[in-house]
Amino acid sequence: MGLGRRAATAAITTAAGTLLALAWGWSAGGGAVDVAWAPTWDLRLAFELDGLAALYGGLAAAVGLLVFIYASAYMPRHLDHQGRSRDEAARLHGAMVLFLVAMLGLVTAQDLILLFVFWDLTAVASWLLIGFDRQDRGARLSALMALLVTGVSAVALLVGILVLRAEYGTTNLPELLEIARPGAAVTVAGALIAVAALAKSAQVPFHFWLPRAMAAPTPVSAYLHSAAMVAAGVFLLSRVHPLLARSPELLDALLVVGLASVAVGGLLAMAADGLKRLLAYSTISQYGYVVAMLGIGGEAGAAGACFYVLAHALAKSALFMTAGTVTEATGQRGLSGVGGLGRRMPLLAAGSAAAAAAIAAFPATLGFFKDELYFKAALEHGDLVAVLAVAGAGLTFAYMARFWCGIFLGQARGGEPAAVERRLVWPVCVLGGLGVIGGVIVSPFADLARDAAVVTNGAPAELSVAYHLDARAENLMALAAYATGAALLAGRRLLAAPLAFVERISDRVGPERAYGVALRGLNRASDRLHQLEVRDLRARVAAVIVPGALLVALAVALTPTAGAYVVGAVPAADTPLVVALAVCALAAAAVTTVRGHLALVLALSGVGFALATTYSLVGAPDVALVAVLIETIFALLFVGVFALLPRDALRASVARRTTGSKRVRDPVIAVGSGLVTTLVVWGALSRPLPAEPTAQRQFEAVDAAHGKDVVTVILADFRGLDTLVEITVVAVAMLAVTALLRARTGRW
Amino acid sequence: MVSVLTRMVSRALLAPTLMVAAAVLVKGYADVGDGFAAGTIAALGVLLQYVALGREHVVAALPIARAPVLAMAGLSVGVAILALPVLAGGAPLEHWPPSGDDPVYVGSVELISAFAFDVGVFALVLGAAVTIIDVVAARPAGEHP
Repeated sequence: MGLGRRAATAAITTAAGTLLALAWGWSAGGGAVDVAWAPTWDLRLAFELDGLAALYGGLAAAVGLLVFIYASAYMPRHLDHQGRSRDEAARLHGAMVLFLVAMLGLVTAQDLILLFVFWDLTAVASWLLIGFDRQDRGARLSALMALLVTGVSAVALLVGILVLRAEYGTTNLPELLEIARPGAAVTVAGALIAVAALAKSAQVPFHFWLPRAMAAPTPVSAYLHSAAMVAAGVFLLSRVHPLLARSPELLDALLVVGLASVAVGGLLAMAADGLKRLLAYSTISQYGYVVAMLGIGGEAGAAGACFYVLAHALAKSALFMTAGTVTEATGQRGLSGVGGLGRRMPLLAAGSAAAAAAIAAFPATLGFFKDELYFKAALEHGDLVAVLAVAGAGLTFAYMARFWCGIFLGQARGGEPAAVERRLVWPVCVLGGLGVIGGVIVSPFADLARDAAVVTNGAPAELSVAYHLDARAENLMALAAYATGAALLAGRRLLAAPLAFVERISDRVGPERAYGVALRGLNRASDRLHQLEVRDLRARVAAVIVPGALLVALAVALTPTAGAYVVGAVPAADTPLVVALAVCALAAAAVTTVRGHLALVLALSGVGFALATTYSLVGAPDVALVAVLIETIFALLFVGVFALLPRDALRASVARRTTGSKRVRDPVIAVGSGLVTTLVVWGALSRPLPAEPTAQRQFEAVDAAHGKDVVTVILADFRGLDTLVEITVVAVAMLAVTALLRARTGRW
Repeated sequence: MVSVLTRMVSRALLAPTLMVAAAVLVKGYADVGDGFAAGTIAALGVLLQYVALGREHVVAALPIARAPVLAMAGLSVGVAILALPVLAGGAPLEHWPPSGDDPVYVGSVELISAFAFDVGVFALVLGAAVTIIDVVAARPAGEHP
């Protein structure tokens, strides 16, 4: 058995085990783990399997299981097409499992910092997965885009968490929910957290990364872009929803972003031709529903959002897998290249019909109830939102019909489809079948969503769904949505031109363009700075001392200087010190004037040895010893290097005169940074040293440690662990230098 | 070309340098200096030989090839001092003998775990420094000035 197949088996086993463990844990009433992590920061490894964790974790594991099975058949074909080794699939399966683990950690984490760690872990795993075809530049750029958009926005999440920590002194979410009161801090933190969540869920205006991410192999899209990566965003919104609900403006903003995403995603899905691209736009639109419902909030919003995620994730991953199977069978990637596959691939057609019907909210599917709850929440919020909800649902109906009918109905196109493995078909049927079962026996799904809604709402929530054969508003809205969808579908030839216009506009001035411009600008700025720095050796030195001097000057300017910078009397006992410092200054002045290399080294050593003398005079013999050693090393090293350099080069460099702007620039930099250094040293020495209890304790403990020299005792005993780490670094450096230089000489 | 006087003085300086290093190491626990300083001093003595006499002479006269072994031995001593107390049920790097107990004396040198650790540091610094000096000094063929 090859490496790829073994990895696939391991991944499938892991997902199945996770699913069983979650089911067992949840039926046993959940559970929690709480272990100290970094006690000084009051961080805890706090995990809890609550309703929300059960919903999202269960989805990640269940969809993961089916997608991993699908991938075990898909990946060998994918790699064969590209002429790559089948063993490479192991990398994909590994990253998928990493994603599953990150997702489980994310949904169960009760500490926000912990949550952030897993949040970033999902971003890293998604980068590995989207860029799986690494020989393909497009895939690499798409992976980078997904990483940057979700990773940079994750910084907003971290800042939001730290704002909460600064205000309330904890990052433990249940505690925060207890003590956080409506106010500026909660609003700001909530907004920052929401930005990260919206970027992760590919909501407007961060939506552009998701269609690009379709460069990933299909199993990755089926997993990340239905049940995991994008779901993580709305999960976070659900997790912190009780906090967000404390500022109504935030909820309104979420509602607006959600509805905008419904519209943008839906319209682009109507226009898209690529199978996966259409589904990606559909995902943007569908998570727009969820965000809108979270924005509506309250019991109805929370219940609707949780149920929607459940119904959508199951169906959407089935549709992604359908797209992959169709492409494998026909070689076509776009709607324009396929058609009439229904009779030739009946099983796939049936499975994906159930899934598409669920998203389009047909009766007798789980999806019907998701729209029922959606309409109910929208009605509670007002007429305008209700109208927009119907329009959005109509759009969904239209593009889902376009997707399924375009593939399976109409004229047969693209020749006879090739036979595909059964594992590329039956996972679709299982997920589609789940949607149909859910349309009949809804209570297990409704219970799972209700338990999640209780957490989301931060208060008890009811979730009751059933078929009602009467003229209630939800039913009428559903009918209106079907009618809108049918009308959109019928008139899509008329719509083609405006939709193409929308697509062009969003390419031309959309946020993706801003992303490109920002990235190129950053690249250019970085290049320019780099060239400035590496132009010559003096520029490199200036690149260190100029920013350093500026920072120090800033600190000096901001520090109160009362009592500092006073010139006092010099006691007679300090005469040796003054002499040593004067020698030091003279030697430093000499460095700037001598020209020969050897003389320069000797002058520099003079500075160092005079400083060492100073150290010994002020009662720091250990420091003085180290200073002497360092000076000796440098002097010898310089001499050794001069011995290695060609004589002519040395003579030429002595003869060369500094010219042009450098004649002014270098002295200005040198004098300026020297002045700042003088200022800060003078200022620091004007202050009495603060008493250090640690140092005092260490002095007192030296006897107990059988020592007499506190410095050595600290190095070898009190802070022995640090020393050990340092000498390990020395050892690693030795190995590195040896490896590098021996490789250069060609000997080993 | 390095003068005869420089070569003689350099060669004569090696033994005293090593002696000073040993003294700094042994006395380190009671006086100025420690394993790091001692290792550096010893390595300086060797570096002087390289600069004044050239690599061929040094490699012929001193066991340079063993320097990496010395470094790794030093690291192993450090890790052992870290790990042994843990095996005995104590904290990592725990002091032996415990505070208050009298250590074993060799002359005026106290044999304690921290001193052994310092010897490990000395060995590592000397070994690593000499190894690096040697690979830097070994220029690739055809690069003679």
